[in-house]
Amino acid sequence: MILGDVFQLWNCSWPAGLTMLGLGGGFAVVLLIASEKLKVEVDPKVEQIHEVLPNLDCGGCGFAGCGQYAEAVMTSPELIGRCAPGGPETSGRIASILNLQVSDSGPYHRPIVRCRAHIADKSFYAEYQGIPTCTAANALTNAQACKFGCLGFGDCTSACRFDALHIVDGLAIVDYEKCTGCTACSKSCPRNLIEMVPFRYENMMTVACSSKETGKTTRSMCKVGCIGCGLCAKQTDIFSVEDNLARLDYGRYEATEETEVAAQKCPTGVIVLRGPSAPEPREPRKKAEEKPVST
Amino acid sequence: MDTVTALLLAFISIVLINNLVFTKFLGICPYLGVSGRIDMAFGMGLAVTFVVTLSGTLTWLIDNLILMPMHLEVTRYVCFILVIAGAVQLVEMYVRKFFPSLYKSFGIFLPLITTNCAILGLCLFINLWEIDSLIDAVVRSFGAGIGFTMAICIMAGIRENLNLADVPACLKGAPITLITAGLLTLAFMGFAGMIR
Repeated sequence: MILGDVFQLWNCSWPAGLTMLGLGGGFAVVLLIASEKLKVEVDPKVEQIHEVLPNLDCGGCGFAGCGQYAEAVMTSPELIGRCAPGGPETSGRIASILNLQVSDSGPYHRPIVRCRAHIADKSFYAEYQGIPTCTAANALTNAQACKFGCLGFGDCTSACRFDALHIVDGLAIVDYEKCTGCTACSKSCPRNLIEMVPFRYENMMTVACSSKETGKTTRSMCKVGCIGCGLCAKQTDIFSVEDNLARLDYGRYEATEETEVAAQKCPTGVIVLRGPSAPEPREPRKKAEEKPVST
Repeated sequence: MDTVTALLLAFISIVLINNLVFTKFLGICPYLGVSGRIDMAFGMGLAVTFVVTLSGTLTWLIDNLILMPMHLEVTRYVCFILVIAGAVQLVEMYVRKFFPSLYKSFGIFLPLITTNCAILGLCLFINLWEIDSLIDAVVRSFGAGIGFTMAICIMAGIRENLNLADVPACLKGAPITLITAGLLTLAFMGFAGMIR
């Protein structure tokens, strides 16, 4: 009985199967011929370059992905060195594929968060209970008192594909061991706090504040804000004060005694070292022991 | 003379009156997805026209010469999809070889022609309308492609101008596109019932 059913099924189905097989075979032959006739010659070097790239498709080079970057590098070799996650090693390998020699590409760039205020340092007018992203909080003027500082909702953390950014007590902290310098975080920050800095030393000095408020206002809102007093600029000319905010000329920064003294002189301690082995930033000086601020 | 008139009427009917996009709501996905720029829309239209003509003709042949005599109508869908997928592969190779920039801008939408319901729809409609001559099937398939090209090009033209228009914030992007599509369909409803 069952055997009869099986036979019946077989008798009904073999013409269909055979037809499908025939049709499929016919198309396979046509496509095979077409694929031979319409073959696109891909330069084997492009494939080789694609292989040595990290294949993360992070977009740090400015192209949509590693594939496009490989093609672009092939046609215009001056783009070598754009691959931040790969670093100089990848640049060297691409160059050897293209029979070129890489000149020294200069220091690698790493992000520095230009704010050092944790929750305890900040002040708030009210508690923000909206959508927990920096972009949403930034749309409100009063999400926190400081209009320039880190909001600490971690838009950069979610943008980072390398787990190299973490929010610690309301402040984004870069893990320089894991960071590849792909610039995704600096693009994601709605307050443009994250700056890509050429790391010519293992640890770079920076002014970890972006507040352009006057010294008095800044001090009322944040314990560790730059008040624009200009003590650092008096010490060495690589610092300059503009819009009540000290800036460090990274291109001229040298780790000398002078800059160290300038950092120590800072009354609020915003001049800090950032990097894989940077020490913890020091506490701001108490009002009493502070030297009078001269303008 | 009679057959020529009939074919002409069939062509106009499928382009304007029974346009697959406007009256059957088939192929909406590329119609909305690739209608951002008019040159891309035109390229997409041509690709779809090629695929639909090829697959419409081939499926009519397969249907009438193989499937129906052997009473294998059940395998119609599988066979049709096979034909369409093969044709799309062919188009993809051709475009990649001769129009690399177009190939790059199409991206995922080129292989997605495989699942463009306008094409499978047309192949099945040809059977449904009981088209019994090959030339009629070819004309209707080609007409369906031209109709799709026309629809997507009109849409792309409107959307290019929409970029410059002052659209209310709440309607920006997808909503205004869908409203535009609806109005366009409404306009083409005026042709309804002129021929069959």
